[in-house]
Amino acid sequence: MSWKRLWLLPVVYLLLVEEALAQEYKTETGEVVFLSSASLNEFTGESGKLNGLLDLASKTFDFYIDLNTLETGIGLRDRHMRENYLETNKYPFAEFSGKLEKSGPLKLNQAVMVKAVGTFKIHGQEKDRIISGKLTKISASEVLLEADFQVKLGDFDIAIPQLMFYELSEIQQVTIKAALKNE
Amino acid sequence: MNTITKYDRLLTAVGTLLLFLIHGVSFAQLERKLATEDRKTDLVFHAPRHINLLTVEALDKSTLHFAIMHTFGPVNGGFRNLYGLDNGANIQFSFEYALKDKFSLGVSRSGRDKFYNLYGRYHLLEQTESETMPFSLSLMAAAGVNTSDYAYLQENAPDFAQRSSFAAQVMLARKITKKLSFQLSPLLAYFNSPLPAYSIEGDQQLYLALGFSGNYKVTAMSSLTLQWIPNLNNGLRNNVGVGIDVEAGGHVFQMYFVTSPALNEQYLLAGGNGVPGEEFRLGFNVNRIFATGGN
Repeated sequence: MSWKRLWLLPVVYLLLVEEALAQEYKTETGEVVFLSSASLNEFTGESGKLNGLLDLASKTFDFYIDLNTLETGIGLRDRHMRENYLETNKYPFAEFSGKLEKSGPLKLNQAVMVKAVGTFKIHGQEKDRIISGKLTKISASEVLLEADFQVKLGDFDIAIPQLMFYELSEIQQVTIKAALKNE
Repeated sequence: MNTITKYDRLLTAVGTLLLFLIHGVSFAQLERKLATEDRKTDLVFHAPRHINLLTVEALDKSTLHFAIMHTFGPVNGGFRNLYGLDNGANIQFSFEYALKDKFSLGVSRSGRDKFYNLYGRYHLLEQTESETMPFSLSLMAAAGVNTSDYAYLQENAPDFAQRSSFAAQVMLARKITKKLSFQLSPLLAYFNSPLPAYSIEGDQQLYLALGFSGNYKVTAMSSLTLQWIPNLNNGLRNNVGVGIDVEAGGHVFQMYFVTSPALNEQYLLAGGNGVPGEEFRLGFNVNRIFATGGN
């Protein structure tokens, strides 16, 4: 290749980037469920407002949820959760972003295992986490991400008083399910 | 001519650098957005009751609020009367059920004059976090009847209409800071016949007062509480109460010192009060909310 054609390099790069942009999958309506099973009381909370971005080209991801959208079925319990524990006025979001490793190529309706290595943030505290999940291509432009993981409240400075309004578990079992679309 | 000029190299380098700056560091990142900008302010008060007064704290649809309230004898009886506990308590039970998120109906029964009260609360405005609504405003109305036995008054015994009394109040509240909440409650009570036989000190039909309720959060689960109800159209002493609220095990416990044994709005306004400090009575409420799941 002629040295003169070096100027082609940025153009090639640009084309690659454009290609990469076409690998971005997004959602604003992912589902999150948490399960608190304490000895005396078991309950779940849900939200359908998980926001997510998955970039299969750069192998990065960014997910967040507005914690105010979590509902446990009892309004008063939700208010106590927001006000006294999650302190959503100060820390409205739970966030997880980082790098994604895929075990193989995506094929229609075949789940591949993925490993997400990143920073999990809630209640103003950050922690490095590795979370495993399952990624399935469900149509030409859609992938489904499913994952289960645990959040230990003490790790994020979320206090559990001895006399709790509703008995709360130290370990919260979290399940997410999100269909992300390429637009 | 296969030589490249410095200019060519520079152009290539700058162009590549620019592109890297624009695209090269594009780590997938979403803009953080709140799902609801106009969220209602949570927990202006711990419970639908605050010492003796109702608050702007609404019940969710299909939930039931149960409160049991007590006031004992004056503490100035000293240890001999165990600071008023020996005198027996005026006790009120109340059940309030939310037909809608903004409207609830309640019934209460107080020991003093065996008084039954039917009441409703409607929440007109609710404070929001974004300050588009800076305060909460609720309305309350009540109709009650004294069911004590007045047979000893023979032909002068009051009939149902004479036993009836009514109350209304406006509750205007604001959570001023994360820790401090305040409520202003203009109150009205009306007795059809304020007979001397009733356990009230007033002898007029209409009573007007202005309730002040304050709540200062000490921890997430406990607060210092204050109540002051100056009378506006009579010479009765004003009601004063101080106490603490504690949330524990699904209940809100409210312990306080107050100048009146009265537990419903009509008797709070007409019942009279002891001298603050000297004739304080110990009071104790337990609040519990049950979700009936009938959404």
